[in-house]
Amino acid sequence: MAAVDAPVATVAEVDAPRPRRAWARRLSLWVPAGLTAFVFLACFLGPVVLPIPAPVGGNVLESSLPSFSPGHLLGTDPNGNDILSRILHGGRASLFVAVTVNLIGLAVGGLLGALSAYIGGKVDTVIMRVLDVLIAFPSLVLTLAVAQSLGPSLTNTIFALAFFSIPAVARVARAATLSLRELPFMTAAELAGTPWWRMLLRHIVPNIAPQLITFSMLGMGTVIVIEGALSFLGLGIPAPNPSWGNMISEGQASLSATPDLVIWPSLALFVTVLAFNLLGEALRTHWSGR
Amino acid sequence: MSGEPTARRTEEVLDLALPTTARGPSPGGPLLEVRDLRVRFTRGGRVVNAVNGLSYTLDAGEILAIIGESGSGKSVSTRSLMGLLPPSAQVSGSAKFEGTELIGMPEKEMRAWRGAKIAMVFQDPARSLNPTMRIGAQIVEAIRTHRKVSKKEAAERAVELLKLVRLPAAERRFYEYPHQLSGGMRQRVVIAIALASEPRLLIADEATTALDVTTQAQIMELLVELQQRLGTAIIMISHDLGLAASYAHKVVVMYAGRAVEYASAEKLFANVRMPYTRALLGAIPLLDRKTHELLPVIPGQPPDPAALPKGCAFRPRCDVATDKCLEAPPLKEHEPGHWWACWHPAGSEDTAAGGRAGGRADEVRVGSARQVEDGA
Amino acid sequence: MTMTMARERDAEKLLEVRDVVQEFAVRGPGGVKGAKVHAVSGVSFDMWRGETLGVVGETGSGKSTLARSIIQAPRPKSGVVRFLGTDLMKLGRRALTEARRQMQMVYQDPYGSLDPRWTVLELVEEPLLGYKVGTKAQRRERACELLDLVGMDPGVFGRRRPHELSGGQCQRVAIARAIALNPALIVCDEAVASLDVLIQAQVLNLFERLRTELGLSYLFISHDLALVKQVSDRVAVMHLGQLVEIGPSEELYRRPLHPYTSALLDSIPGLDPATGKVRRPTAPKGEPPSPINPPSGCRFRTRCPLAQERCAQEVPKLRELFPGHQVACHFPLATPDAAATDGAASASGNGAATAGDAART
Repeated sequence: MAAVDAPVATVAEVDAPRPRRAWARRLSLWVPAGLTAFVFLACFLGPVVLPIPAPVGGNVLESSLPSFSPGHLLGTDPNGNDILSRILHGGRASLFVAVTVNLIGLAVGGLLGALSAYIGGKVDTVIMRVLDVLIAFPSLVLTLAVAQSLGPSLTNTIFALAFFSIPAVARVARAATLSLRELPFMTAAELAGTPWWRMLLRHIVPNIAPQLITFSMLGMGTVIVIEGALSFLGLGIPAPNPSWGNMISEGQASLSATPDLVIWPSLALFVTVLAFNLLGEALRTHWSGR
Repeated sequence: MSGEPTARRTEEVLDLALPTTARGPSPGGPLLEVRDLRVRFTRGGRVVNAVNGLSYTLDAGEILAIIGESGSGKSVSTRSLMGLLPPSAQVSGSAKFEGTELIGMPEKEMRAWRGAKIAMVFQDPARSLNPTMRIGAQIVEAIRTHRKVSKKEAAERAVELLKLVRLPAAERRFYEYPHQLSGGMRQRVVIAIALASEPRLLIADEATTALDVTTQAQIMELLVELQQRLGTAIIMISHDLGLAASYAHKVVVMYAGRAVEYASAEKLFANVRMPYTRALLGAIPLLDRKTHELLPVIPGQPPDPAALPKGCAFRPRCDVATDKCLEAPPLKEHEPGHWWACWHPAGSEDTAAGGRAGGRADEVRVGSARQVEDGA
Repeated sequence: MTMTMARERDAEKLLEVRDVVQEFAVRGPGGVKGAKVHAVSGVSFDMWRGETLGVVGETGSGKSTLARSIIQAPRPKSGVVRFLGTDLMKLGRRALTEARRQMQMVYQDPYGSLDPRWTVLELVEEPLLGYKVGTKAQRRERACELLDLVGMDPGVFGRRRPHELSGGQCQRVAIARAIALNPALIVCDEAVASLDVLIQAQVLNLFERLRTELGLSYLFISHDLALVKQVSDRVAVMHLGQLVEIGPSEELYRRPLHPYTSALLDSIPGLDPATGKVRRPTAPKGEPPSPINPPSGCRFRTRCPLAQERCAQEVPKLRELFPGHQVACHFPLATPDAAATDGAASASGNGAATAGDAART
């Protein structure tokens, strides 16, 4: 066998060079992030910055104008209210509800789940059984029941949706904490004399946060849709204040004649939910990739 | 106490001419001839040189040990022989098995070879076996992949194989699931599957690393027995020099993707040349050492395959390195049957063979901010 | 041997373990509560300040479980664990935390034992914070000192996170954290098993250095008998939850009393780096029994070449045959009466347990 020879023969195939992949991955994060940001900006800043009429108290003389009419980009509804305006304001309501519900879910559900797993034993069993019961209800039915008994209003909608969000997040938090608890660094922290609250805040929370945040991102879409359903059924945001749900509900009556009334809010809903879903997915890949 | 610790073990030393069946170059040349094997990956924009020129030969019925630490490229090199690398790997060099070139072989052909002529056994037997299939069924499947036999015949052969690997109560185990077996028994089953179509070469990739030392001894005994009875050649990949010394005919020591020392086991251990190999030998805790004795260590850690140092990859950690080492030393047969790649091998200037095995004793001082220079 | 005896007289007893039992429930298929794993079944031993006690055993021997039982994480089912005079089994949560100040642990998984989100300095400071030692500045200073002590420059490594370190470096951080409070006892649970050979040697040397400089005592757990012998003054051998032999490391190796110890020694490849001579291992026969249904009496009897009826009926008790050297076996490989002759045969009149026996000094 000779010393190192000139290499003999073949070179097997080479894939698409890697740098392109990293670039594509960054794009998959920034596009939905940008889209989500756009939706928020449009709904919250749009009416402030752009010359858009108020969502209620429209001129009856201008009712049922089709899309692209002068002064009303998306037309008006039977009451003369500008649809674009209603969409943007409705968006404010829907997004506000979604964000608040998710924050409550993360804070309450996250903490509950983490504590439950950390304490373990009977406490854990009891909490989990209660949550299991809540999860067992079809989400829509549960929120409907709560909303029905409380009556339609913004706050009540949030409250009802929280019932749905908290157990879901709690379960994820519990699972994440359980697997975390097995890791040696938790025992090491215990041996180091770390008190339970520091364990929770500085060890558990930072490590389960990525999972929880991606989960709630993906849940944003669901929350908005359910809110839409509630409003559609008249149990969410009360008329005449717009929300995408109740806009769809009202427009449904004249679907064949003026489909625009349904199409625009549905499109807005679709785009928003899609943006959140994509963002959630991207965050999940981005965070678990490391 | 009075005991010379060495006395206990060396008295039982076996002659290093390991008992074997007829082995040696077959009339048609060696079974496997690897020349200047190189494997490169591109990962995240960086080029990772996993294997940088590996050459060795393996004769029929021989046991070759490839020794190296993590990142030395030992596993990657054998996977390239079997075509088990991801498509983004660039492989160059030659690996001729019974005269047929394996590098660059199209996947379709390779599938006929894999398992039939060359079989592989991996580290974790739990992962190599399908937990939802009975053991017998898995062996039967392996047999029928490469040969057209009836299920009944295959089943009979499967039981034969289980007996060959000395699995107790083979007929009963045929119907059991992997989780009903211990780690050692599972590894035996994996070996049985590997032997299903009588391969000429068996590659054991850290096959005993995950096993207890007693089980490891049993499995190694089994492999040697198989080599003797069936004439199967074995490549054993490991980080354990002691294992190599006990069972292998030939040893290749790899560092940073290159073979740095290559010789028959007798020649290698009688007269270790490469500073890296001496360091490895020196660092193994052996029963014969004194308690609390400090181990001779070398600082630093193996280089990043994506950022190999210029010249000899071991230079930054070597205590006899000079400027000459900025030029990579080639692997040459400096003595008959003993190759090494070093400009300053042991035995050239310093002390005679044996003696201090590699490296200086640890010198890290107290309290000083002596850095462990990116090392461990 | 005389060294251990001297220690007995002068040194303080660090650990007194009596009849510790730990069991786990195993879920059968379908999640139904199945059988019980007898992880640790009545283990007793002592440990003195300043010594390194090695605990060696294979998978299922219970050595790791024993270590966890000693530090009460989780608390064993029964037994006594007297650490520096106090029985840890009887302590409430707060008192236990206080008692545990003197014992720390280094784990097998270098990355798993460090919170991936904390920096190196934060990790090393954690015990100081937990036990409210000094001011923030003092803690920081001490952490830097500790990192120096383990050979890591705090300026370079202080702000790094575990994933930016190598395995060996992570273990150094873990060790720095473990010595932060000057504990009396450090439990090393397979602390070097995941490291490459050369890095392993570096870390072992670090353990030795700290031992002499800081006067530490180690409980060193490993499956690698050669490794354990290298670092330990005394070695305890465990098999399937039972402590089968314990004695000074040199003596255990030269004259093992328990057939299992002898089998373990024979399974290890022996390589003499000076001459290159090799001793090929001899494998024991038979499969290790299951910890769920361990054999009655002595649990090694199913694989023991010397087993007799008595071994199935009566659990052998640990008794001291030679000074400082105890064994739990009805037919040990050597007894004081027969010790006069070299290569003592066992009392049953059988030949040596393995071929290797005949050649023992």
